[in-house]
Amino acid sequence: MNVRDLKAHILPALLAGTRRQPLPGVAGLQPDSLLGALSLSGQALRFAMPEGPPEFDVDSWPQDTRRVLPESVRPRMLRLLNANRCTDDSELAVALACSQLRLRPHPFDLPKLDGFVRRHSQHLGVAAQYWAQRDTKTESRKGYFDEDGPAAENWTEVPIAVRVAYLERQREHDPAAARSALEQVWPGEPADARVRLIGALQTGLREDDRAFLEAALKDRAPRVRMIAYRMAARLGGSPANNPSLAACLERIQKEKTGVLKRRVALKLELPANVKENTANRWIREQFADVTFDELAGALEIPIASLVAAAKDDQNLLFALAMVATTDRRFHALAEIANELPDAWGRMSESGFDEFSFADEQREHWVESIVRPREWMPEPALPAWGWLLRRIQSKLPEKVMRDVLKSKWWSDQLGGEKKPGTEVIQLFCALCPAGLRDKLREQIDELDADRKEVGLMLLDTLDGLEAVQ
Amino acid sequence: MAALSLDKIEAIAPDQASLSAARKLLKPAVWSGLAADDAGLAWGECQGSGATPYRVVISEPDTGYKCTCPSRKFPCKHSLGLMWLRAEGKTVFNTGSAPEWVLDWVRRRKPGSGAAREPAESSAAKNIALAGHEEAAEVDPKAEARAAAARERTRTDREGAIAAGLDELDQWITDQIEAGLAGFSAHAGKSCRVIAQRMVDAKAPGLAARLDLLPPRLYALPEPARPQTAVRELGQLHLIAEAYRNQEKLTADMREDVRRAVGWSVTREALLSDEAAMRVSGSWRVAGTLSEVQPDRLRRIETWFLHEGSPQFAVLIDFVPVATGVGRSPYIAGERVGATFVFYRSTAPLRAAIAETTASAQPCTDAVQIPAQGLAEAVRSWHRALAAKPWLGMWPLAMRSVRVRRSGEQLFVSAADGAGPVLPLLASQATPAMPLVALESIDAAGLWDGTNLRMLFAETPIGRWTAE
Repeated sequence: MNVRDLKAHILPALLAGTRRQPLPGVAGLQPDSLLGALSLSGQALRFAMPEGPPEFDVDSWPQDTRRVLPESVRPRMLRLLNANRCTDDSELAVALACSQLRLRPHPFDLPKLDGFVRRHSQHLGVAAQYWAQRDTKTESRKGYFDEDGPAAENWTEVPIAVRVAYLERQREHDPAAARSALEQVWPGEPADARVRLIGALQTGLREDDRAFLEAALKDRAPRVRMIAYRMAARLGGSPANNPSLAACLERIQKEKTGVLKRRVALKLELPANVKENTANRWIREQFADVTFDELAGALEIPIASLVAAAKDDQNLLFALAMVATTDRRFHALAEIANELPDAWGRMSESGFDEFSFADEQREHWVESIVRPREWMPEPALPAWGWLLRRIQSKLPEKVMRDVLKSKWWSDQLGGEKKPGTEVIQLFCALCPAGLRDKLREQIDELDADRKEVGLMLLDTLDGLEAVQ
Repeated sequence: MAALSLDKIEAIAPDQASLSAARKLLKPAVWSGLAADDAGLAWGECQGSGATPYRVVISEPDTGYKCTCPSRKFPCKHSLGLMWLRAEGKTVFNTGSAPEWVLDWVRRRKPGSGAAREPAESSAAKNIALAGHEEAAEVDPKAEARAAAARERTRTDREGAIAAGLDELDQWITDQIEAGLAGFSAHAGKSCRVIAQRMVDAKAPGLAARLDLLPPRLYALPEPARPQTAVRELGQLHLIAEAYRNQEKLTADMREDVRRAVGWSVTREALLSDEAAMRVSGSWRVAGTLSEVQPDRLRRIETWFLHEGSPQFAVLIDFVPVATGVGRSPYIAGERVGATFVFYRSTAPLRAAIAETTASAQPCTDAVQIPAQGLAEAVRSWHRALAAKPWLGMWPLAMRSVRVRRSGEQLFVSAADGAGPVLPLLASQATPAMPLVALESIDAAGLWDGTNLRMLFAETPIGRWTAE
């Protein structure tokens, strides 16, 4: 009797049942020894090694040039991101820090941080993008490109956000080449992509772009036409009447006020069916496609006087704040914030999120509009959360210092109802490196439940930034 | 030298809430009588909500702890807090001899661990211990003889019950064979429960546990694999029964082994005093830990060690009631321990107890030295062990230069050059082990049960991977 006999003759009888299929006569085994046959067959099977698959899959993990997080930071980051009450804001702060410092999670941590990696893969390098898409069908997978990774030959293959970022960077160095690259792919792009891509031309906008913009005025997509209108208008000499401008002007009343010194006063009249809770959204939609120049020209008021003329109407000031943001007129924005400190809070309520800035502009914008000592949103979470997602960065030191000195903040820490861990984490996420010790000091008196994850976030960010 | 680290405390904490609560106890004002001795004992009294403070004692070398609080979490927040204070090293602990309540705990603990040794400098403890020995020496010889006779009667009764139980088991297996093992899994749950209960009645708990584990093991497999697994498992049961009946023909090691397989237990004291038991001293690395809840509501916690300098593995197995909340081993993969292990007698010795600790567990970043053997040689070691012990369960494999490869959703381990056996990885490890697919060659250790490999750790060019 050998293994082959057992497998070929005995095993089938054991499986089928010896009532139906009696054990065959095999040398060395008595026909009535069912248990002996079972044990021998079982052992024979145990010694047999399993067979491998006919072939293995070819896994092509992309080469990630970012530095892997060192051991000094890994446990801290795992603890933070796996903590029960770690918020999206903390996750975003860590992901942005990784992106800024060109770090990536250790490959062995990808399974442990699966949810985090899926949500923020665009900030975590190409290996993380590969991991996040590993369950996606091959034909549906997007390319794996780092945020500053694509080059002239492959920039069309990356996700749209990365393409826009690439074009914006190119525009800073060589605007003509960037526009030319866009012109080449323009006809084949879907409408959604065209809307995003044409916006990249705002960086380094110049007279050379006029021909392209005028061609875009005939685009099939109304949104593309609107963006082309406003950019062409920024170049001077509006190429055509902007229908959005006409709609806005219908709602703006211009009059003279003052006794001793007459001055122009502007007022925005909201439609009767727009209630207080929908006003911000209506204003955003109404003024989305007009420029500061267009408004000043149509109202026959110098640009420098536009804000002063609107100062008595908070809705109009809010409208101008959005227009100034889109036009990157930070000086005018600062003037508006003097009159309307909650302009950015209203932006957050209105769902205004169609703007992006280069790093320097972002800091300038925040410093212009956010005035923590004059106004702090209540409740804090939605507005500051919106700000974090919009600026994708920490607050400038000046602004954060004002937050920490503000009455609102000290009321929060010293009041009866202390801020929850979500609020603490949010401000930890927004806090620049230079003020973390001060923030730690201020939140130290809070209960461990409220401050614990926030402190973990600060420690993790410190650890990430200490990586040489 | 502090054996405790924050990572270790985090590893043994039952949940995040316990850690958060322990953090609140880091204020020295909460504690009184904080002290420690040279043997690694630390103790103190923690003021809780009641009038009487809780008495807390910890043993640093083996992460032992005891607290008088009524918490059902283990370790409780007080024990964790005391460990945390020690790990941080910021709080001053007086040095002195342990008070009586600490010594009492030490005496009650298992002998053999570092902390269990009586503090040498404690003369009071020595006197008490001596008094205990003197009392033991004054035992009445007649009473002792009566007790010995009673024990012998009990043993004889149990042997009889087991013999009858084994006959029932054989009859039950025969019935299954006659009915056919192809359909066994369809009714395995119910029929295994019935015969397992009979084995409990027959005082053969080892066999009962095997029978209880059989249905979940079958149901974890794809349906086509179940009949052959039933053949293997039932065949082993008969082998154990047959070996038990023929104990006198077996070697001493195999006899001890089969008796344990049936359910005879060997006390720790008996093991430590067994001169013939194999002892291996030296430096050991923690290869990994497992924690599984058994059908009898006991949690089985396994800690696997690999001897540095030889291919010898050892496993510590602890059983704790699920209700206690203890969920994991106090050891962390990769730690280095200096100890003498004494092995339960077996033809393939694995299970052991620590006879003496010469160096407490310390985190260690050095690569674990895998014995110089490839996958094929490791599999041969399993074959040898299986031949020596036919009812072998999991067997540790250590192998150099292997590669993890993917085929669909399943991962496999093969030699880096692709030659030789291919071992399927446990399905539950498919995701955590996925990053290993990107590596050309790794050194690894895992537990092989003849069907699947459970990877414990891997030393790779990008660091150590551990199963968690």
